[in-house]
Amino acid sequence: MRKIQDKGVGGFLLDWSAVIAVILSILFFTFYSGASFLSPANLTNILRSMSITTILAVAMTVTLACDGFDMSACTLASCSGYVFMACYLWYGMSLPLSAAVCVVFTMTAYLLTLFLILVCRIPDMLATCALMFIHQGLGQWFTGGGVISAGMRLPGGAMPKRTSFETDFVAIGQAPWIILIMFACVLLAHIFLQHTKQGTFLYAIGSNKTAAALSGIPVGRYRFLAGMITAVFIAVGAMVVCSRNTAAQLCGCDNYLMPSLAAVFVGRSVGGREKPTALGTVLGAGLIVILENGLTLCSVPYYILPAVKGGVLVAALAAVYLPKRAV
Amino acid sequence: MDFPGVRALEHVDFEIRSGEIRAVVGTNGAGKSTLMKIFSGVCPDYRGEIYCNQIRCFLNTPAEADRLGIRTVHQEVDTALFPDFAVYENLMMDDIVSQSSVSLRYDRKKLMRCAADILAKLDIRLDLRAPVRTLTLAQKQLLLIAKEIHRECRLLILDEPTAALSRAETEKLFQMVRQLAEQKATAVIFISHRIAEILDICDSCTVLCNGRVTDTFPVTKDTGTKTIVEKMLGGNVSGNDRDGTWKQSRACACPPVLLEVDGLSDREQKVKQVSFYIKRGEIVGLAGLVGAGKTEICKTVFGARRRESGTIRVDGAEVNLKNPAEAVRHGIALVPEERRREGIFAAENIAFHLSAASLGTFCRFSFVNRDKIAAHASGLIKKLGVVCRDARQPVRLLSGGNQQKVVIGKWIAAESDIYLFDEPMQGVDVGAKQELFALIRELAEKGAAVLYASCDVSELLAVTDRIYTLYDGRITAELDTQETNEKELTYYVINDITEGSDA
Repeated sequence: MRKIQDKGVGGFLLDWSAVIAVILSILFFTFYSGASFLSPANLTNILRSMSITTILAVAMTVTLACDGFDMSACTLASCSGYVFMACYLWYGMSLPLSAAVCVVFTMTAYLLTLFLILVCRIPDMLATCALMFIHQGLGQWFTGGGVISAGMRLPGGAMPKRTSFETDFVAIGQAPWIILIMFACVLLAHIFLQHTKQGTFLYAIGSNKTAAALSGIPVGRYRFLAGMITAVFIAVGAMVVCSRNTAAQLCGCDNYLMPSLAAVFVGRSVGGREKPTALGTVLGAGLIVILENGLTLCSVPYYILPAVKGGVLVAALAAVYLPKRAV
Repeated sequence: MDFPGVRALEHVDFEIRSGEIRAVVGTNGAGKSTLMKIFSGVCPDYRGEIYCNQIRCFLNTPAEADRLGIRTVHQEVDTALFPDFAVYENLMMDDIVSQSSVSLRYDRKKLMRCAADILAKLDIRLDLRAPVRTLTLAQKQLLLIAKEIHRECRLLILDEPTAALSRAETEKLFQMVRQLAEQKATAVIFISHRIAEILDICDSCTVLCNGRVTDTFPVTKDTGTKTIVEKMLGGNVSGNDRDGTWKQSRACACPPVLLEVDGLSDREQKVKQVSFYIKRGEIVGLAGLVGAGKTEICKTVFGARRRESGTIRVDGAEVNLKNPAEAVRHGIALVPEERRREGIFAAENIAFHLSAASLGTFCRFSFVNRDKIAAHASGLIKKLGVVCRDARQPVRLLSGGNQQKVVIGKWIAAESDIYLFDEPMQGVDVGAKQELFALIRELAEKGAAVLYASCDVSELLAVTDRIYTLYDGRITAELDTQETNEKELTYYVINDITEGSDA
């Protein structure tokens, strides 16, 4: 109640606009397309579709919490996907070993991002923008410009060690597991950001970098930590994508950049917190996927959907920057 | 002229004739800048009348001041220049912008010719094609002055133009100004803290004190530094006006030295061979003008700026502080000057601030215990007397004084014992000031060593035990607060005694 007294009804509605938007769109699609929208099958479908966006958005949330930015998260995820698939199919490693290699690779590759940001002092936005292209080029050089999938030869012409997928591998990308992985990522990120010293320091840095440094918080070290955690979530996202496609497709994750960013920024405004939170990010991802799913049910052609996602991102950004003018 | 809450100027009568060079002096906060802001048209809500050649005029916008031929050269030169443009383009910028012709042609040759003419007339040697970012501060200053005076200029306002200049460059600037006053009958207002320069160049001097003009007098050969200093302090000198109860000699007669700084210098020459020490339970003042290097000294000791040479000893042991985190570990705390930008996390709540420097103590295996933080915060809020709704209130909603209490509270929670205060009373109202003084004294009584840097002499006299004066990055004197007074202190603060300017 005090929130309403502080900011007035308008401010209250603005703070919770993301939640209101989710509720309204659920009501609208239920009304419009009847029971099919709320059917258990479709709800599972929605959760499954939002998993990948959510996991990658959680990765970005950690970086954005300390006022960093990462445009190259999804291109890096594509690269991690190539490595994961190559380990699993080409070199015939076991699933856990492939996953471990994938995580280590992603963290190593993320060192380059952090080198550009922390040592070369390039602004996050520009450094990661440049890295997008580096990731794309190097990734395709690794795969030889093709998809990595079952039964396909290595770029050198050698036969892969493994020709088919185990059930474990395929299960990662399917209904109960993919959703459970998503919730596990969200829960971990939530606990880290909200309940640990390190998470609190990341928010302090995001709130005022200079004040944080002058309070004795080693800003560089925590930016590095945030980057490494982001890398782990990127690796998880990459593996889920590969499993779901049962292949590492060319630039298979690149298209998640926009919805993930939108999810983080929608989440920022939730509850007037004005900072990226794990729970807010889930809500943001939910909003985007519900819109996508509902509009598809209403037989809106799929090729228009990017405009819808872009619209959500624009609205979320406006909600972040518009109130600043009043101050 | 009113500012919200504070009256910056009151009944100021000011008159300047063509060809006159007038000094405007006064301590920090006396109202010099406000007066100049009115003249340059950026303070439209003044009350009173302004006449220019007997015609009443209204200075409501910078454009109107510009039309009347009032040119201002501000202290911060970088805000008025385009760093990536060449010297000649910067010089001609006003002409380029105000070009009335519809022609889209950007005639570089013509601009360059004009610019070369202007600089030749003023005898300034600069590479016309060099981008301005490659110039030194002094060159930028000269360029800016050239830019302002090459157009019709009836009143030139120079706000501390010599702060960055060397002797020779200052001399050149003075030549230019004298020429301008004599040949073009331009009136010049010259603001400087350097009394020797005022004696050198000015015809007359106006003294501002607490927003009032206290005196205007001609500057002659017989005018001495002491005269001006006395007039600057004029109304508000009443000897050593400290309240006796504030100062009690503390029990321990010979407390150990807690912080010792020896020969500290930085790379940018803002801190030059600075040495000082603070004993346990002592409040040591650092008196200096804005830009004298107070902030730089505090930040260098705190590890937030790079140290070029010199040693810092905490409790007798030499420490090598490479970043603030290490300084905090050694019990050093900084209350920075720009509270909004450097001191507070505006959007976060009070409890967050009070635990920001000591979060580790509220954690178990790095999991934060929120109840403990909240309990600790409400205890500290009571102790500090922070006026607020509760510990969850965002700090940006607090008043300046209460924000400052929260910043100090952050360090109390971290159990720091060396406190560096950099202009802690900025934006703090009178009532809160007394409470903060009491708080600082209490810190010292509990055995902390306190460095209190300020340009406000009366604050320093009120709260410190010992005062170092600072001029141009160098410590010029060490004074015992009980034996000094405002006059002596101000004398050291505004005079470069190391260069032997006489009294």
